[in-house]
Parts: sequence; structure tokens; C-alpha cells
Amino acid sequence: MASGSSEVVEQEQERVMLRDRPEWSDVTPVPQDDGPCPVVPIKYSEEFAEVMDYFRAVFLADERSPRALSLTAEAIHFNAGNYTVWHFRRLLLESLKIDLHDELEFVQRIAADNSKNYQIWHHRRWVAEKLGPDARNAELQFTKKVLSVDAKHYHAWSHRQWVLQALGGWEDELDYCSELLEQDIFNNSAWNQRHFVITKSPLLGGLEAMRESEVLYTIKAINAYPENESSWRYLRGLYKDETTSWANDPQVSSICLKILSAKSNYFALSTLLDLICHGYQPNQDIRDAIEALKIPDLDTQDLDIARTICSILEKVDPIRVNYWTWRKSRLPHVA
Amino acid sequence: MDSTEESSSPTSESSNTTTMDKDLHSTFAELMFHLLPSPYESQEINHLTLAYFVISSLDILNSLNRVEKDAIANWVLSFQVHPGTKADPNNGQFYGFHGSRTSQFPPDDNGVLLHNHSHLASTYCALAILKIVGYDLSNVDSELMLASMRNLQQPDGSFMPIHIGGETDLRFVYCAAAICFMLDNWSGMDKEKAKDYILNCQSYDGGFGLVPGAESHGGGTYCAIASLRLMGFIVDNLLSSCDSSLINVPLLLEWIVQRQGMDGGFQGRPNKATDTCYAFWIGSVLKILGAGNFVDNKALRRFLLTCQYKYGGFSKFPGEFPDLYHSYYGFTAFSLLEEFGLKSLCSELGITETAAKGL
Repeated sequence: MASGSSEVVEQEQERVMLRDRPEWSDVTPVPQDDGPCPVVPIKYSEEFAEVMDYFRAVFLADERSPRALSLTAEAIHFNAGNYTVWHFRRLLLESLKIDLHDELEFVQRIAADNSKNYQIWHHRRWVAEKLGPDARNAELQFTKKVLSVDAKHYHAWSHRQWVLQALGGWEDELDYCSELLEQDIFNNSAWNQRHFVITKSPLLGGLEAMRESEVLYTIKAINAYPENESSWRYLRGLYKDETTSWANDPQVSSICLKILSAKSNYFALSTLLDLICHGYQPNQDIRDAIEALKIPDLDTQDLDIARTICSILEKVDPIRVNYWTWRKSRLPHVA
Repeated sequence: MDSTEESSSPTSESSNTTTMDKDLHSTFAELMFHLLPSPYESQEINHLTLAYFVISSLDILNSLNRVEKDAIANWVLSFQVHPGTKADPNNGQFYGFHGSRTSQFPPDDNGVLLHNHSHLASTYCALAILKIVGYDLSNVDSELMLASMRNLQQPDGSFMPIHIGGETDLRFVYCAAAICFMLDNWSGMDKEKAKDYILNCQSYDGGFGLVPGAESHGGGTYCAIASLRLMGFIVDNLLSSCDSSLINVPLLLEWIVQRQGMDGGFQGRPNKATDTCYAFWIGSVLKILGAGNFVDNKALRRFLLTCQYKYGGFSKFPGEFPDLYHSYYGFTAFSLLEEFGLKSLCSELGITETAAKGL
């Protein structure tokens, strides 16, 4: 039996009130009981009120019928977040033994206008869970489609992560991340997904095994766009809690040096500060680079490189001047 | 919750960009209190949440005296689930508050409650509103509510919002913690498990995602930190106490101060647009950590004023129509900025300090 989606399309063209539809003539709508003194009342439109009055009727009667299923589609159209309606729809799908592949299509249609809606995604997940591993490709395709419109879509990414973990399909995921980053290196969601893949994929070796290649990949990205917060954060994330490895990896200090030799850069400076705080001993090249960035009116008596970096950051990142002053105050005192 | 108003652009209407017009906003909130326009019907399922935005706005704006507190309390209480016959708290159901009339159904002719769609977020909003209007929560029948709330907690520590099934994420851990805190009774949840779930949500960059593995996000980070604070796992003014054993505080701090953009506003995630509401989500975390001064509050204020609408309310971005959600978080943001004439905020609970204290 059709999932009632065609009727939704009809509604958008020329909606007929339920009371004027012969197939609903046997049903008495149940009006909403707002109670004696409603507060913060909503100015319901006639259509909305009517759909919910009829929904209440079928819900209270527990009518498990195709027309009830159609009605849930209409109610969802008016309020895609209504979990009571969605719940009843799921009961109907089960009772009527609807082919859930059709339901995937229904969700896709609804999602077009309501994609930032938790209930839609929860429903999609429920359907996918019922379909099992066979749904895997459809889910990866669906999320890809949503992400092609909005590559940072939070719900789509969450759903995609769930699909990978529950149903599999890891093979192409790292490549997919690379593809998205090629389109937009500033896409923080894609960087996050990359981290997710390298740590969780059963096909790769885990974070430590992937670290070397990922460091190279990230440094390339930093080189190209040193003002990109996402790549710097990702680089840091590759070392997780291994702060000593982080501090002593020459690749990290090198990229800081490279960037800073060209010009002042917030992330290179704060990364360097972070390295020093975790035990990194800056070499002469680094010291020279920092020296060159010193602004004339800075306290030139400060020989401590960490304090100098904080002072530079106070000047080049004035929005966060108080943060850098605080960081400076927390540095161990140099004798 | 996004604005559903889509007529002509309001950019021709220049708003006051130097003053936070408290009286204008009070009028806006009062108008909303008396009638929410038709576009809000698409959010009817969250009616109590919309009411919370309106009523808490009036409170922050020091205009709660414009409305009937008793009527509000009675209305909110009418959403509470009262099982007809003796209910078993271990039957898997949650006995809280419904969020709207479309999800609330009366018991049948035999007094049996067949449909219980009470919701964790609605319960949080209900209790918050009751506190705002000065209703004594010890008068709320909370024993069954708390005992049954455990049915919503998952093995991994997260919470489902409703027993008939729903997504599980940090938002509902926050709701559960806030509910227990307001009722001063932690029997409603396993705090240790909830804490573990929260910690699993801290991302490699220091922020918190809504679920483990998810991208760190302003809203997720608020839910994480506010929950930990409410549960007593972190102290107030964390930075001064040097107690960073539970969460990676330096990493979180690095991440969160970077959320302020060049236009002075806050963004929810790196490389995304600044948006009014993050002034609350991010601003609250900064306050709880004791890092409120680490960002440029003057610049933030300037940004917020560009989102102020000529006829009251705040929009998501400059030059757009206002909506209730962004208006509310605009008001909370100004409260955090200690705007003259506004009441101070208990950022962990999302209500004023006087409401939180029960004065």
C-alpha cells in the first residue's frame, strides 16, 4: 500500500479540507482541549487545527488504516517535530506491513524542507535499523546527498557516523573526507569525520598507525591555508594525550617555524606556545623567527620565549588579549 | 528552531545599534505571551518550550509583573502526567510533563492512562517556568517523576527524551541533570554513568559534540559543562582551582575562546557563521569556567546590537527578522553581559538567579 506520499504532493497543489473529503465523512474530529485558562496561546491556522483534530480522532480510536497513515503524513507536513504523530506512524507502518523502502523515500521527501529536525532523523534511523545491513548503501547515499547541499549538516553527519558503526561501509570514507576537504579545506565537519574514520574504522590501523600519514596530510593543508583553525586542531588531535610526542615531533615545530618565517599567525604562535608548555625546547631558528615578530613597543627585556609569544599574541589577537595575559601569568617563572 | 517568517527583508528598517532597548523587548515578549503568531504552530509540539522562552524573557527583562503568575503555574501543572491508577515506576514509562496538547491525551473512560507522551525537555521547561513564577516545587508530585526518569537513561549513560523512543544525546543528559537539580533530588539518574557519557563526548579539539564522535559544538559544550557543574563534578570558576583532572580544560579553553569571530559574535563551530544564540551557549560556558573576561565583551555587545530588531526581539544574523528562540538567547546574552536593568542569570539552569534561588 502506498505510504501516502503522493497525497502530500497533492496537498501542496490544492489542499482540500478533511471535512470536505468523502473518505473522512465517517470520522468525528476531536477538538483540542486547551484547558480553562491557556497561557501563551498559539494562533492556529484552520488547516492545522483541523488536521490535528482528525489525528486525535484516529489516534484515540487506534485506527490502523491506510488513511490514518496518509493523515500522519499530512500532520507531519504541518509539524515535522511532532513525535506523537511520528510514533503513531511507526505503529501504522508495522501494522500495515508497509515496505520500508518506500518509507525511506518518504523521509527523503520530508527532509527536503525540514532537514534540521531531530524527529525526521530519528525516524530514518528507525527505518534503517529495521531494514538492517541492506540499508547501508541507501543511508550512505542519503547522507551524501544532504551533505552535497550542506556539507556541515550536523544531523546528517551524526546519522552517517551511526550508519558506519552499525551497518558498516567504511571502505570509501577516508576518501570521501578527502574529497570534501578538497572542495572546502575549511570544512570542520569533514575534519572531524576524518578523525572519526582514522580512530574507529576497522579497516585502518587506528590512530597511532595512521598518525604518520595523517600528519603529512595535515601539514600540507596547514601550509596551503595557515589561517584554517580546523587543520591545526586536527594536527593536535593526532597526538591525543601523548603530549610528549606532540611536543617533540619535529614536524610540528617545523611547520610553525615555516609559517612564522613568512608572517605572524595566531595558530602557529599558540601552537608553539603549547609545545613549549609541554616541554619543547625551541631551537635558534625558532627564537630568531619570534624575535623578528616582536613589535617595537613590546617589553624587550623579556628573554623568556614563552612570555614573548604571549606578548605578541596580546597584540596580534586583541579580541583575546585578556586570555593571553592570563596564559602569560600562568607560565612558570624564569629565574 | 528557526524563524518561519519570510516576507520582505527588514534591512530597510534600521534598528538602534547603540542601545539594548529593554522596554521594546519587554513589549515584544508580552505580545508573544498573549498570542504566538501562526508560524509558531509548526513548533506546537514544543509549546512548553516556547512558553519557557517567553516567560523567562519577561523575567530577565524585569517585566514578569506584566503577566498572571498563578495562571501560568496552573497551566503548566495541567501538563503533568497523573496516572489514573497506581503506576509502577518500573514499567518502563516516564511520568513527567507533556510538552503540548497535541501530545497529551486524557485517561480513558475507566481512568486508565493509555497514552503517556511526557517528555524530558518539556519537564525541564515546566519546572523552570514554575520556578520563574515562584511556585514551590515541593508541591509538585515528583516522587514518581524521578523514579521513572531512570527508565530513560541508557546503558551508556545518555538519556532518551521519551519512553516510546527517541534520539539520545547530551541535550537530554542536561535536561535530566537540571530536573534533578531543581527538585534537589538525584534519585532520578545515575550521575556517574551520565558523567562518563559526557566525557566521551569531548572531541579531540577540546569542545564537546552532542554524541561521542560528533563534531564539537557550542550547544553540546554547554550541555556538557552545565551538566557537570549541576551534578557537582566540576566546581565554579574552574580555572582558578586548577582542578582539571576530569576534562581537558586547557584544550577546552583554547577551543572556546576561539569561538569569537572578527565581527564580535560567537560561532557554534569553527569556520561557521556567528549567530546570536551562541552568545548564550558559549558565553555560559565561559562564565562557568571563570573565563568570561577572556573574550571581547564590548565587541560581542556590538554584534548583538546588529541583530536587534527595530520592533523588539533578536534575529539569528544581522538584518533578519527576529524569532523567539534567538530573541530569548539575545536577552540571556545581555544578562551575561550585565546589561543595566536586566536580571542576572543562573547560566547552568537557564533561568534568572532569583528564580533559581526561589526568592
